[in-house]
Amino acid sequence: MIEVRNLHKRFGAVTAVEDVSFSAADGVVTGLLGPNGAGKTTTLRMLYTLIKPDRGMARVDGVDVAERPMDVRRAIGVLPDSRGLYPRLTAREHARYAGELHGLSGAGLEKRVDELVELLDMKDIANRRAEGFSQGERMKVALARALVHGPRNVLLDEPTNGLDVMSTRAVRVLIRRLKEQGHCILFSSHVMQEVAALCDRIVVVARGRVVAEGTPDELRARTGKESLEEAFVSVIGTDQGLMQ
Amino acid sequence: MRRLIATVFRKEMKDHLRDRRSVMSALFGPLIGPLVFAVMFTLMASWFREGKPLEVPVVGREHAPSLMAFLQRHGATLTEAPADYEARIEAGKLDAVLIVPADYGKDFTEGRTAAVQLVVDNSRNQARSTIRRLRALLEGYSGMLASQRLWVRGVSPELALPVRVDEVDLATPERMAANVLNMIPLFLVFAAFMGGMNVAIDTMAGERERGSLEPLLINPVQRGALVMGKWLTTVVLAGVAVAVCMASFLLVVHRVPLQDLGVKARFDVPAVLGMLAAVVPLTFFASAGQMLVSTYARSFKEAQTYLQLLLLLPMLPGMVLALSPVQSQPWMYAIPVFSQQLLVGEVMRGQAVGAMPFLLGLAGCAAAAALCLRLTTRLLGEERIIFGRS
Repeated sequence: MIEVRNLHKRFGAVTAVEDVSFSAADGVVTGLLGPNGAGKTTTLRMLYTLIKPDRGMARVDGVDVAERPMDVRRAIGVLPDSRGLYPRLTAREHARYAGELHGLSGAGLEKRVDELVELLDMKDIANRRAEGFSQGERMKVALARALVHGPRNVLLDEPTNGLDVMSTRAVRVLIRRLKEQGHCILFSSHVMQEVAALCDRIVVVARGRVVAEGTPDELRARTGKESLEEAFVSVIGTDQGLMQ
Repeated sequence: MRRLIATVFRKEMKDHLRDRRSVMSALFGPLIGPLVFAVMFTLMASWFREGKPLEVPVVGREHAPSLMAFLQRHGATLTEAPADYEARIEAGKLDAVLIVPADYGKDFTEGRTAAVQLVVDNSRNQARSTIRRLRALLEGYSGMLASQRLWVRGVSPELALPVRVDEVDLATPERMAANVLNMIPLFLVFAAFMGGMNVAIDTMAGERERGSLEPLLINPVQRGALVMGKWLTTVVLAGVAVAVCMASFLLVVHRVPLQDLGVKARFDVPAVLGMLAAVVPLTFFASAGQMLVSTYARSFKEAQTYLQLLLLLPMLPGMVLALSPVQSQPWMYAIPVFSQQLLVGEVMRGQAVGAMPFLLGLAGCAAAAALCLRLTTRLLGEERIIFGRS
């Protein structure tokens, strides 16, 4: 469960997030859709506690991100904007390291890592060093690292960016499965098709503000447009940066 | 907290032991000093050998018994020259051959200038010092006879010698050896800085550059624990470098004839332990300082540039010590880098230092390291550091 109220953040003269409010419920896939530079990544970074909001508040499972960042970090699994790997560690070692940093150890950790290897279909790369992994393989390792502690809330920043069709499908399957298990999933994307294919609720962000929020049907109804694509263009006011 | 530090430390050790560059810079980087040292001492030992008896092959010894006696009195070993001496000199097997012609004795007794021949090959540098010494001996003999002849005639020999040149050679092997020995503290300090340098760069600037810093910081781990784990890894590799450097210096030192060179230096077990006790605390500060710089740097490359400049830091006290030898004051032992060079030098020369300088050195390094680690931890909380600046 994620709640965001009136978040505001500026870097020097640039206002990255003007005023963002939305909520993401458990068992629901919430999509943060907006063109490049709309403030999606900054909003997520405030949620995963690496950036302090100037104003407003954000809560994860009722815990304030500014007041108890450690507790928030325990409650979330994040695929951040930068998702670099350690080239000299194997896929399995990446997941294990993240698990240990979350306080897991011993047989419990090994079992969880095995589960993830299974879930993300990483058997052939599990014991290979990350050096030379393809984009899709790197994404799997980054996801395993994000999910190793079994977080209730999952934040994914542009999870399908740079992936081929097969890897994109694998990520979609994973997101649906997490939803079925009752997780709260918040993911950002600038690709409309991506959001349309997966999301139960859509939060459209442009120029640091939420310009529309609702189910795909609600959005269509509100804008009076037939297709989702036209609905988006109409709420954002431009189609720039929205198309793949 | 302790468990998380251990987790980070284990991961970083595993990661960097797989990194050839990190391992090489810890194992082979510190060999540079001992190598230079070995070469210098081998060179000096060969200069030293020049102080060995001068060997002079002579043709016609019987023609000049008093000259031969003079040469022998002044340390020359006379031998019979082989028949093919000219070829041998050209081939570089002989440095010089002295020829006393048959009419030497006749000219000598009649008071005329008697000639001897010195057969040499002046194009050969190696023979130069033998030739110079032999020539000096011959001129000495000639000068002695000239003085005697003037005395006999009631003239003071000083009239014939308005100016006398005395050469004072400072480049004695002893002095050079002592200078070279002073490199040991400098290179031990270098090892403390070089051993962990690559780890410090990779673990901070590298972590951000490859995009793994952001995921790492999202874990529920105090920044301080991350910094400590990474710092311990750097310290271990720097410590390995110091140990390798010390061990290879020992190997070299035991192979060169220090005593023959008149150098008094201690390399027994207590002295070696003392040197290690002096230098190991420096790895605490060196690693922490390098991590701070590496965290602040915008990129891997930039960190590399800064840290290579930082390597010049150990040179400064070394130069001060070389230009004006200082009388060590207690406060000097509290200054990292300077303290270690003073201490190692004193331990090596066998001076009784006591425990206080060691404790001061440790305290100075620990305080400087703590400050650097604090600043690094604080930097890791800053958005512009986490996400990089352009």
